[in-house]
Amino acid sequence: MPKKNKTAPARGQLTIGLPRALLYARYGTLWLTFFEKLGIQTLVSEPTTLETLNRGSDRAIDEMCLAVKIYLGHVDSLVGKCDYILVPRISNFGVRRAMCTTFEGMYDICCNVYRRSGQKFLAYNVDVDLGHDEMTAFFAMAGEIGVPVNEALVAYRAAKKAEARAWKARLEEQEALAKCPGLKVLVAAHSYVAEDEYIGKPITDFLHGAGVTALRADIVDRKAALKQSEKFSPTMRWELSREIAGGICQYGERVDGIILLSVFPCGPDAMTSDIYIRRLKGVPILNLVLDAQSGMAGVETRLESFVDILRFKHGEL
Amino acid sequence: MKDAYLGIDVGSISTKGVILDDEKHILSSAYIWTEGDPIGAVKRLLGLLEAPFDQSEYRIVASGTTGSARRLAGAVVGATMVKNEITAHAVGTTAFYPETRTILEIGGQDSKIILVENGVAVDYAMNTLCAAGTGAFLSSQSRRLGIEVEDMGQIALRSKHPTQIAARCTVFAESDLVHKIQMGHSKEDIVAGLCQAVVANYLNNVAKGKRIETPVVFQGGVSKNVGVVAAFERALHCQVRVDENGHLMGAIGAALLAKSGSARQEFRFATQEVEFKTREAKCGRCSNNCEIICVYRDGKMIDAWGNRCEKGDVMHRKAQ
Repeated sequence: MPKKNKTAPARGQLTIGLPRALLYARYGTLWLTFFEKLGIQTLVSEPTTLETLNRGSDRAIDEMCLAVKIYLGHVDSLVGKCDYILVPRISNFGVRRAMCTTFEGMYDICCNVYRRSGQKFLAYNVDVDLGHDEMTAFFAMAGEIGVPVNEALVAYRAAKKAEARAWKARLEEQEALAKCPGLKVLVAAHSYVAEDEYIGKPITDFLHGAGVTALRADIVDRKAALKQSEKFSPTMRWELSREIAGGICQYGERVDGIILLSVFPCGPDAMTSDIYIRRLKGVPILNLVLDAQSGMAGVETRLESFVDILRFKHGEL
Repeated sequence: MKDAYLGIDVGSISTKGVILDDEKHILSSAYIWTEGDPIGAVKRLLGLLEAPFDQSEYRIVASGTTGSARRLAGAVVGATMVKNEITAHAVGTTAFYPETRTILEIGGQDSKIILVENGVAVDYAMNTLCAAGTGAFLSSQSRRLGIEVEDMGQIALRSKHPTQIAARCTVFAESDLVHKIQMGHSKEDIVAGLCQAVVANYLNNVAKGKRIETPVVFQGGVSKNVGVVAAFERALHCQVRVDENGHLMGAIGAALLAKSGSARQEFRFATQEVEFKTREAKCGRCSNNCEIICVYRDGKMIDAWGNRCEKGDVMHRKAQ
């Protein structure tokens, strides 16, 4: 039973900051509904811009991936504007269901980067191997901000329902897209890359502008995906990569081409992209690695030619 | 008056141009260095193309541009078709060699492989956003060795025991190269090693997982290097064809795409006297602060690009 934190301000006056990056793409609905049900204000950072990236790069070390730099930029924009910033620390969801080390370290990285700012960070620890599941994480988080367990449970259940509803809608939306006539491309990327306003959206916008329907490998029946990922490798260890691998299995044959979109230097993607390129036969693949460069020219050349090749195949060019 | 089509390919290193007639015959062609000045290069190129071109018999009814400076070149010549270099190469090559199955292409800053079936490009791959193992790599190493990049091929062919050079990354390759020089390896062996390294890098990165079927055509500026051609043949165990016009295939493809496109705009060679200027502007309308390139023709803005959203659509705003 988590202890009530005596120093926390009254619940009605609390504001929790949520960086619109990394796992926000996955858990946004869950977190927002949870706090809303508890009557706690939330502040979500603005969509990514070049400024976000620059701010984040200043706070990051060189070796961090582009997505982490963007994340730190979002955190930076929230520092000083809210009582807590929610930074999840997710290690795993069980055996062979690990998260990239980035997600394990993010809370500590943020605490350390902003140790002199006085900003408080709200931890959210998931480590199923050690017996900390998602619900435990929510209870601990509630305890930290002075919310009793029974209230937290009600809010958590409501949030889970909202999350399931939202996810179902997205799956249906994707299914409808998959039935669209015309050229279709599957974008295989982490949700936080595909949904990012600055790095991912220009890609889907470009495809849209070229008259191509873009499906997403990360919007997938997750349970089935974990199982299907074994087709590529029975030992793939990252949960998010396994979902994308499953997404490729579920949608790969219904599209004209696949775009592997990753950010430099993503460790898991460096490995999985290689597996996909070697194992997938008969479907054109574009491997796009995004870096912190402002010029879109190289990316546009690759996308444009990729779409041309797909059209060639249909004799449309 | 017969119809002709202009194709211009402005790459990072070289600028190529052709004028084709309706039967795909080359009426005029030119190949020069870009030298970091794409607009100047296009103007010089047009001068070279104009000389042997019979303007009393032909008129250019459509023009296409390709290569990394395709938009800029397109704005300068008023192109009817602006296409990326991969599509242009695929179109150019399959028009001349419909039986081709694999096109290897190594240019100044990128490299690609295009797989062709029944004269139609079906798959391709391109280097990731990094210039390792491309022409830029060879030319920087040739400078270090004090030889002309054009001579590298012949020097490489003289080698009996090519030196092993790590080619994954240009920076590492360079330090490896310096080390090998200091160890006492001969220049021939090192140059041959570089050619081999380019091929190894290409096959391991760009052509990874692709089935290379014969006939194989090798293009791009680097295909002029006989050392690299020989290294490809050794690695692939098959003949690698290099067309004497291989370096022009992008430009040819651009001309053919312009021909097959519906837009028509007569091109006259008057562009050379016109002054073209570009200016970089920061948009400043949101925190993305896009770098917008504005192109001016005799002081009047004719095109602009680089904006991520409509807020930076300078041309559109000006029109209002």
